[in-house]
Formats: sequence, C-alpha cells, structure tokens
Amino acid sequence: MQSLNRRSFMKLATASGAVLATGAIGSKAALAGSVKLAAGGRDFSPATGKERKRIASACWQCVTRDSIVGYVEDGRLVKIEGHPDSVRTKGVVCARAHGGINQVYFPDRILYPLKRVGKRGEHKWKRIGWDEALDEIAAHIKPLLDAGTPEKFMFHYGRMKSSSSKVTKDFLSAFGTKTIAGHTSICEGGKWTTQELTWGGHYDNWDFENTDYILVFGSNVTNTHTNHIPSSQRLIDAHVDRKVPMYVFDVRLTNTAAFADAWLPINVGTDGLVALAMCNVIMNEGLYKKDFFKFMKVTADRNASVDEKIAAVKARVAKFTPEVASKESGVPADKIRDLARGFAKAKSGVVVSYRGVAAGLNGCDGERSMMLLAGITDNINSPGGRCQGVGAKWKGPKSKHVKTKALKITKGFKGTIAYPSHGVCQEVLPVIKDGSQGRPDVYMWYCYNPVYCNGDSNGNRATMMDESIMPYLVTSNIVYDESSALADLIIPDATYLERWDWEDMVSPTQIGEHYLRQPFVEPLGESRDLGDVWPDLAKRLGIELAYSSKMDYVQQSCEMTKPVKAAGGFAYMKEHGVLYDKNAKPDFYGYKKKVSPDKYKADGVILDEATGVYWKWKKSKAKSAEEAIKTGYMKTKNAVKGYVGQEIDGEVYKGFKPDKLNKSGFLEIYSDLLEVKKFNPFPTYEKIPEHAAMAADDLILTTFKVAAHTHSRTSHCKWLSEIYHDNPGWMNTKTATERGLKDGDKIKVKSGTGEVTTTVRVTEGIIPGIIAISFHVGREFSGRYGSGKADPFPGVVADDPDFKNKAWDRHGVNPNYVIPNSSDPITGQQRWMDTVVKVVKA
Amino acid sequence: MSTMERTKVGRREVLKGAGLAVVAAVTVSEAVAAQAPKRDAPRWAMVMDLRRCVGCSACTVACKAENGVALGRFRTVVQRKMMGTFPDVTKVNLPLMCNHCEGNEKDKIPICVKICPQYPGKRRSFKGPDGKKIRYRDGATYKRPDGLILVDNTQCIGCGKCIDECPYGVRSFHPFVKAGMKPELQGVEKCDMCVHRLDNGVEPACVNTCQGKARIFGDLNDPNSKVSQLVKEHNLADNVLLSEEGTYPQVYYIDPNNVLKAAYTKRTKGKLDHYVEMVD
Repeated sequence: MQSLNRRSFMKLATASGAVLATGAIGSKAALAGSVKLAAGGRDFSPATGKERKRIASACWQCVTRDSIVGYVEDGRLVKIEGHPDSVRTKGVVCARAHGGINQVYFPDRILYPLKRVGKRGEHKWKRIGWDEALDEIAAHIKPLLDAGTPEKFMFHYGRMKSSSSKVTKDFLSAFGTKTIAGHTSICEGGKWTTQELTWGGHYDNWDFENTDYILVFGSNVTNTHTNHIPSSQRLIDAHVDRKVPMYVFDVRLTNTAAFADAWLPINVGTDGLVALAMCNVIMNEGLYKKDFFKFMKVTADRNASVDEKIAAVKARVAKFTPEVASKESGVPADKIRDLARGFAKAKSGVVVSYRGVAAGLNGCDGERSMMLLAGITDNINSPGGRCQGVGAKWKGPKSKHVKTKALKITKGFKGTIAYPSHGVCQEVLPVIKDGSQGRPDVYMWYCYNPVYCNGDSNGNRATMMDESIMPYLVTSNIVYDESSALADLIIPDATYLERWDWEDMVSPTQIGEHYLRQPFVEPLGESRDLGDVWPDLAKRLGIELAYSSKMDYVQQSCEMTKPVKAAGGFAYMKEHGVLYDKNAKPDFYGYKKKVSPDKYKADGVILDEATGVYWKWKKSKAKSAEEAIKTGYMKTKNAVKGYVGQEIDGEVYKGFKPDKLNKSGFLEIYSDLLEVKKFNPFPTYEKIPEHAAMAADDLILTTFKVAAHTHSRTSHCKWLSEIYHDNPGWMNTKTATERGLKDGDKIKVKSGTGEVTTTVRVTEGIIPGIIAISFHVGREFSGRYGSGKADPFPGVVADDPDFKNKAWDRHGVNPNYVIPNSSDPITGQQRWMDTVVKVVKA
Repeated sequence: MSTMERTKVGRREVLKGAGLAVVAAVTVSEAVAAQAPKRDAPRWAMVMDLRRCVGCSACTVACKAENGVALGRFRTVVQRKMMGTFPDVTKVNLPLMCNHCEGNEKDKIPICVKICPQYPGKRRSFKGPDGKKIRYRDGATYKRPDGLILVDNTQCIGCGKCIDECPYGVRSFHPFVKAGMKPELQGVEKCDMCVHRLDNGVEPACVNTCQGKARIFGDLNDPNSKVSQLVKEHNLADNVLLSEEGTYPQVYYIDPNNVLKAAYTKRTKGKLDHYVEMVD
C-alpha cells in the first residue's frame, strides 16, 4: 500500500468511492476487506466525525517551508499535514510543522500594538491603537527621509523569504535605505559564500534519489536540515530501499549518524582535513574521474591542461595523508582509505556537509575541501551528486525605487571579513556600539531575536539597553522575547498561518515548485502581517507602493508569473496550493553546455584574459570598455552581472555561472579571489589556533539543533517545548569521569564572554574533550511554555486550559552567554562550533 | 526454554487447536483470523520498521494535534536508547503506541478489556463495506471486530484499572474528559488508531506524517496488504513488545539488528514515565 504513490492513492480513494463516510464512532460501519486507505488529504473531527475544512498553504516554522494542507474546525486551525500533491514534501511534514498550530493560539501571543511606558527593559507597556503606532513609527523615520538620511532607518530580519522579503525590501527601496541586515551568517552563510566562491550561486541539493554513495559531514540531515523533509525522506529511501552506503562524520551520535551504516566520530574543525585526505587517496590511487577536471580551476593557470591539473591536485593534497588526518581528526586512517575508495568507485556519490563543517574558524576551507572531493569524483551537478539548488522563479510588482543609501554596519568591522556576501549579523550590534561606522537612529527588527540568537547575549542586551547608542527600537513580533522586551514599540505580527505569500524553496528533484501560503484563519486580535503594514506606513510617508496589501502583491505576482498564470493564476494557487511541471527534466551537467558565438561575440561582450570569462562590461560599474579591460573582470564591481560564458580550450561554455562574487565560470577550487585577499587559494587545513593553545582542562563547546525546534522561534509552542525544553551539556563518559562529574550533575560552563549553569548529560555518544549544548531553549522570555513566565501584560487569547497540565519546569540554558561573536575571516560565518570553555562542577 | 521458544510453542498449540497444519512463520493474526468465524472484518495492524525510523518525533506531535492530546499525555512516543561504548555506539529509536492486542490465546480478549468493569456492555453491530453485520459487545474499553481496542468514556466509571493493567502502560486518565458513569472522576485516553480517520478511509495521523515510512498500517486479513506482506517477509510474528506476556500485540517491529528487547524500556508498575517523549 505504502509503495503506491500517495497522490494517486488519494485520487483512487476519492474517485472510486471506496471511502465510506459514516456516522459517529461506535455505531458506524467500518471498512473491511481490501479497501484502500488514503494517506491523507482529508481529516475529520475525532469528537463529531465531521469532515474538517481543508486549505492548502505553506509552512514557515523553518526555512524548508514545506507545502502543507491544514484543517479548520469551527473556525479554528486544528491540524496541519504535508500537502499530498507537493513534489517537494510528498505529503509529509516534521514535528515543528505540526506544532505550528501553537504559533497561532499560544496564550502569551502579542495581539495589539504596545508602547513602552517604563524605562527601557523595565517591562512596562501600554496598549495603543494601530493608528498611534504607525504615526509613531512615521514620526521617527519621516524626519530621516526629509533630511536625506534614510539610511539611518535600519531594518534587521531573521526569517524573511520569498514574497515577504520582496515586499519589505521593495518598501525599503522606495524609502531609500539599504541599511538592511539578515541573519544568514549566524545560520549557514559561510557555506553559501563558499559556494559563491566555487560554483557560483548558493544552496546545494543532494540528489539522494539517484545517488549510490552518501558521505555526511557535520549535518543532522534527517532531523534538522534547512531543506529537511524534502531531502531527508529521499535519503531514507535511498539508504533503506536501495541499500546505498551511508557514513556520517560528526562529533555527536546524531539521529542521522545512528541511521547510517556507521558513525565516524570526528574532532571539531577537522572535517575538511578528512575530505582532503580522501582526495589524497583518490588522487594517489588513480580513482579520480578525469572528465570533470576540465571544468575545475585548480591552479593559477586557467589554461592548464587536464594532466597538469591532475598533477597539481595530487601535489596540493600530498601532505594530507590519511595518517596525518587520522592524527588530527581521530578518524582511523584505514577508514579514511576505505571510504575514499568506496566513494570514488561508486557510480555516483553525494558529499553532504553543513554547519558542523561551515560554522567554525576554518569553515570556508572545510567546505571548499568538500567541493574538491565532489569535483575530482565528478559528483557536481550530476545525477546522484551534489547539485546546485533549483527553486521556482516568481515575478512580482515593483514600486518606484529611489537611490538607496546604506550605513556600513552590516558586514562586520571594516576590513575584517574578506567576502561577507551574506552580511555579518553577529557583528551588527558590536559595530553599532563601536560607532565608528555610523549608527542608525531607528533600529527595526522582524522575525528575529538579536539578544538571544547571536553570540555574547550579555553584550547584545547591554548595547540595546543603551538609549544613547540605540535611540529608537521597534519590532514586529508575535512573542514577547528577550529582544522585544527591550523595544520602544512592538507591533503585533500575524503568524505565517494567517498571511499570504508565494513560495519558492529549493526542490530536491531539481525541478522548481511554485507554491502558495494563504491564511487558515483571520489574524488574531489586532495582529497584522508586516506586508500589510508597509502600505499603511507608506501613505504616512507620501510613498506610493505598487500594491495595497500582501494579498494584492501575491495576487499580482500570480498573474505576472508565466507558468502560474498559465495554470489559472491566483485562483488556481488558492485552490491547489502547489504547481510544478510534471514533464520537466533536471538540468544535470548544465555547465557543459556551449555558449553560441552570437552570444559571446555580441556587441559589448569582452574576453577577460586573466580568467577566460566573456562578459558584458556595460552591466558592471565600469564606465567604458577600456576601463573594464584595464581593471579586469575580477576587480570590476558587479562584473558578475555581465557574465556570458567561460572559455576553456578554445570553446566557450556556460560553466558555473557566478552569482555574487566575481569568480570565473570554472568550479573554482583554486581561488584568485582568495589569493588577492592573502588567503590560501587552494583548500587547506589549519588547526584552529585556540585549540592548539588549549590548557589541559579546557574543553571545546559545540552547539547543535534538534528536530523539535527552530533555533529561536518555537519555544512558546507547547507541543514542541513539551518534548524538548531542557538542554543539558553532552559530555563523553571519559571526559566527565576526569572531572569527577556524574550524569545530571550541575555544572558551570565558562568562557571569556560569560558563563552559564546547566547540568551534564554523560554519554557515550559524543567524542571526548568537548561539551555540546543545543540552542532553542534557555529562554528568559518566550511566554509561559517557553520560559515559564507569562507576559508582563494581559493577553487577549483565552487562557489555555491545557496550561495546568504543563509538566515541565526546566527551561534550559542559552549557550550564547558563553559563545563570543567571532567569525570565519573569509565569509563572516559565526563560529558556533569551536569555542574554548572551562567546565566545572557547580 | 527461552521466552521466545515458549511463545512459539504456545502459538503452535493455537494452530493445532484450530485444526490447521503447522506452518512456520504463520502469524498469530493469521491463526486467529483462521479460527474466527467472522472473516468479513479487517484486522488492522501496524508495522514499525526500525530501519526507517530517524527519531524525528513528527508522529508524536501529529498525534497531539490530530487528537487534541493534552500536555503530559501521549498516545504515541519514541523511546530512545544509546547502546555500546565510545566509539562503537549505536542508538535505537523505538516508536511505541497502543498495541491493539489481539488478546490471550483462550478468549482473544485483551487484559484492558477484560478488566473493565463495564465490559461486556451493550450489544453493538459492526458493518463492513460488504454490508455484513458482525455483532460484538462494547464496554468503557472494548474490542471492535476489526481488532481496534477502543475507549468509550461515556460508559467509563473512572476506576483506572485498564491504566494499571496495561503491560505497556499506554493509557492514562484524560485530563479533560470525565468518566461518563462517574463524572467526579476522569475518563481514559489512549491511541485509537485514529478511528475517526480510518472509518472515513484515511490512514492514522502518525502514519500520514512519517517521513521515513517507518509506520506501515493496514489489514492483516488482506493477504495483499503491505502489512501482511511485511509480516510474512520479515517473519514478524514474534517481533512484538513483551511477546512473553501472551497479549498478541498487533504492532509488529521490523528489527533486523535484533535490538527490540534491549532498546525497550518497560513500564515500572504503577508508573507511566516510560511513555513520555523526549527528543534528543
């Protein structure tokens, strides 16, 4: 039954009339014999048996943004399931998605605008109306507009994607500020920047449906990946049904490691070294796939022959022998050899890597080593390999934009980060505190919790508390958290289950899927989607927007986006929720396509001799062809926008198209962009200096996430906090014994940044010498389910009668009191995995 | 004689008693079904494929939402156990739920039903899609002819005997529903296999959401169903929890690494703290 496609199943069940709607339980007829059951797509009330109303929409609990269907009973959203027709989710969602219902109905939800009346952070609030709230925001930002300093209005977001991002950035561009920061560097920004340095655009998809071998480095892909459900279920099928070998390198025995053929415990920050050692084995034993070398840049010479390239890689990885790697990483040399051979000999193989690799001091080199491993085995953009993510493309209305200005405070301290292409979120508050790069007069944040989410929570709080540094703070939020507690004005956001969006997250099949988010219920209380707030605020500022509401924006987008319009536009999407081309085929090996001469010989296209890139100089910031030629492709601002193709051996190929950084069309393993910034141009391994200098009783603190929560946005969800509310530090038995610690003992974890008191979980499922503490919990404010404390103002959601059944009183610790704000100097990625700490019995 | 052997012998005797040839790998359900005069009802069962469970807890939370399960109560959980010594460590994720037991060998009435003071209650009629009626008796806890063990709190007196007696400890007092026959006390709750979905032709919520397809649900009376095929292919007759109790659970485990017994944390008598979900 399960082997049948779930969608056809549902159709079958409905069409054949096999589904028997019957009366109340007990007296009703039941199904017998060989009746086929539908997997989902319909739901019924357990109390009355009545069918619940179904609406198609999209999740937002994490960035995966699964397509969902939800069920409404008596005007209340009661259940969420995976959308049965989605090619991405195949009718399945995760625990967080189910817990999304709690986002709407948690008893501490902010439901009306609140104005601070006490001192900042004193938790004294007054309920005000929307008119007053918007007038107040306008009163703070209109003078900036009038003074020609719109950049002093800063907008900082956490989760903001798709149409939500478009609408907000459209408003900000119409206003004139580009002082906009995201949160990516405290997530996986380092990985993205590395991808921009190597293969161009960011985000990778792992083609589990076709792969023959799986190596996982530092990623709990079955539980917490950023494209979790679409990827994970295909991984499970591959490993169990097709018996695809799977090995997981991780410091902890994660659920993914437990699911694999073997867990390979690995020391912190050494993943890249093990990958380089695998490359060493593959090169020395002649197991590489020659074909792909043509499209890789592995030496300074872009015209190097394939044989020269092979020799160069061999020479570069010669010192990273399995024995050297074993000594540093703790992974046995024989194992490195076996897995390297297995991986290289497999028809295809996928190298999975995530924050365990990327979120440390040497994260960029680690991730580049993964790319090298995938490259020399021809597992890039190939069936069963590591593929560039493909999402749906949307068009939408655009308002009149003005020339924007920006404070240079979103990319870290001046000159400290080489390529902060996704910003340096964790340094925003420290840079503002420092003041030398300017300060915003108005700091607004959305779907983000700066105090809690970045390193050095104490420092973040102190900066935000200081009105002389940050004079006006405003947030759109659904929950009273550590940061909104410091705001001057809180406007109540609608939850994702009460708003409109189009969506576009990457597909696991390399075929983009258009999908829609629509409200299940009207926004509770006076809450409003920020996308509906901008048009109102714009009126107060004399700015005209191209849409009257978020729904209008989404509706217009549906009619402007070709495939969506062809299917029936907004009406179609409201009814069906998802849309993809069932006949489309993945664009594997797209980089091998040749560019036609009429394109690269067209007027205004020039060849950059240094890189071999053909590019349209007019799309860059260069003022003339001469200037473009003289400055060169790599050093001309926005040159990437003019990329046409890559010359290789006298032919011009589509290559690996650059995105944000001026790389060539090769898969750039040897990076000129890094060389000019004085970094090693070829992936390498260097031990993290703090680790080399550790005292005998020091430990390394690493962090992780679990399947029940998103980093910081779900602790008020009762069903999720019920199953994960405490985060004792994981410690290996040997390490604990050395410190006289027993399971459950109270401990203090200290660093130069601060300390936290927690308990220890003594386990065999972690390497010795470290302590691992998860995020998610340790909430000082997150409603009664997240922090044990109710809001300091009365809510208007009816009190939850279930609260009396809350059976937990521990709420964990926030490791960010111990972790400093510190970055990978290449990418600006926050270092979540390699802080040195001391742990003592409390 | 080991527990396993004893159980097997017991099962053979069941078969002999029914006058059937002894066939290796014949399941209890097949045996019971063969004896049962009423073949026109399905026999619902669940197969848990331990190879496929990644411990993500989606089932637990889906169940909470589907059934509006109160805090502190669970209708399904995943128990987690790490085994071994670093670096040779494994971890088992073991999904648990009501086993919808077939009952003992003699009368096929599981202990939770038998212990219910309200059982046997009124006569009820179970109608299959072919229109045939099967008569059975209800109770505050009762067994339907399709094998589901169900709770009818309107008949409950709140005595809690079923909670105490369930060897798996999957029942608890319902914090919001009163015992119908003694409203000063609370009724009982446990997994009902999402009977409200099932009776409308839709799989249980936990099955619907399982990304690993680790939960496979279906009719053991249909030899072509996936569950029938899996039970046969993997010889799952004894791959149930506490097979030595003779309760004939209808939740089977595909357990190629033979970890079921070692991974399972049994209930401590009088307690339910083994049946709480805790993610890691």
